[in-house]
Amino acid sequence: MDKNAVVEKLIKLLEGSLGKSLVLSKDSTLLGDAGLESIQVIEYLCEVEDAFDVVVDEESLSHVSTFGDLASVVERISSE
Amino acid sequence: MSLFSKFDAAAALESTLSSMPVNPTSIVISKVVSASEAIVNGRSTIMAGTNNYLGLTFDADCISAGQAALAETGTGTTGSRMANGTYKEHLQLEDELAVFFDLPHAMVFSTGYSANLGILTALLDADDSVLLDSEGHASLYDGCRMSGAKIYRFKHNDPEGLAKRLSRLGEKAKDALIVVEGLYSVRGDCAPLKEFVDVKAQYGGILLVDEAHSLGLYGENGRGLVEEYELKDDVDFIVGTFSKSLGSIGGFCVSKHPQLKLVRYASRPYIFTASPSPSVIATTREALKKVQHGQGLREKVWHNAKHLYKAFAELGLDIGPTVSPVIGVSFQDREKAFSCWQDLLSLGIYTNLILPPAAPDGGSLIRCSITAAHSETQVDSIISAFKKVCKERNVGRLN
Repeated sequence: MDKNAVVEKLIKLLEGSLGKSLVLSKDSTLLGDAGLESIQVIEYLCEVEDAFDVVVDEESLSHVSTFGDLASVVERISSE
Repeated sequence: MSLFSKFDAAAALESTLSSMPVNPTSIVISKVVSASEAIVNGRSTIMAGTNNYLGLTFDADCISAGQAALAETGTGTTGSRMANGTYKEHLQLEDELAVFFDLPHAMVFSTGYSANLGILTALLDADDSVLLDSEGHASLYDGCRMSGAKIYRFKHNDPEGLAKRLSRLGEKAKDALIVVEGLYSVRGDCAPLKEFVDVKAQYGGILLVDEAHSLGLYGENGRGLVEEYELKDDVDFIVGTFSKSLGSIGGFCVSKHPQLKLVRYASRPYIFTASPSPSVIATTREALKKVQHGQGLREKVWHNAKHLYKAFAELGLDIGPTVSPVIGVSFQDREKAFSCWQDLLSLGIYTNLILPPAAPDGGSLIRCSITAAHSETQVDSIISAFKKVCKERNVGRLN
């Protein structure tokens, strides 16, 4: 799966979770553009882990701001 | 960027809070009348937002024990447990905790926060993995962060989510630390401990349960949720605090593992903190006896909890599915939550207002807690106030 496809899947997951359509791209931020509170980010990340069958430690997420950043982390961990 | 520019966000938050008619973070209690009543904003107020579950803060025996310790042993120890701060009473409390929990090892810390920091930073290092419930208390998260261990969060109270993560950790799972609480302090829900223990049995791991809010409330002897579910042999570490049901301040860890004794040499939050003052130790020891023989107190708090929960359910409030002495009333609208909280306060009912990002699922919440010290009349007053406010604010079923 290329990075754009990962980003698309990440956004679809969030839409499913929130139950509404979102206008988001790889440069959209989780906290700002997607409007998630920090506790919602944790719940969302749990869904991401399940969807991609990975386990992501908090340190790996420390520089994640956008969906593109998150896609890079998921890609890296998936390939390990 | 200047050293102080990091406070810009805090300044903005303070400004927002200060602009509210009543700043929910700046409530001042001008006089404590009893374990369930205080003077707030100049008026008599029923305290329905504390952690004083058994109402022991004004227990006559606890007060006498504290006063005697002050007179006999002084105001403070002025040193850490590793230096001049270990009095025989600290060791007696540790022995009594071990007996109380029916476990061989116990360790006392100066606060509940430092107990969690102290245990987690001693147990974990950068080579370790820790799996933490997504609604775990800040002290648990901070301890995990300070340790440098790899932190994996799983969805709140989700044994299946924990199992998936342990499975993905492979070989590392057997040495991973699993961290959950007993009773959760915001919504008043309990961990499915039996299911977590089953997951641990399948994948391995070391299980730590924080009984901060469940101590005194659950189990035949009030030991907490681990006792309630008869899981003592399946749990590796129990941590907790003296500042809730015991009405004091301090923290503890008990365990079946002899390595707990060695934590004293490896835990910086333990080594570099002044030990609890003698009066604190004395009131805690007395309160522990009350908990041990506190069936009457437990019956009272659960009676009150059931009464309040039933009334809130009848009002159609958005509350959790579990009856407990903590009832979190959820609101999707932050302004409405604030208005209701403020109205309740003006009617003489103090509750806790919890706004994003502190509230679970991004909503807002009014946390109401009930204790053994609340009289029937006080519980009815709390219910009447909620009824009035909900009707006026168009909340729940009465609109």
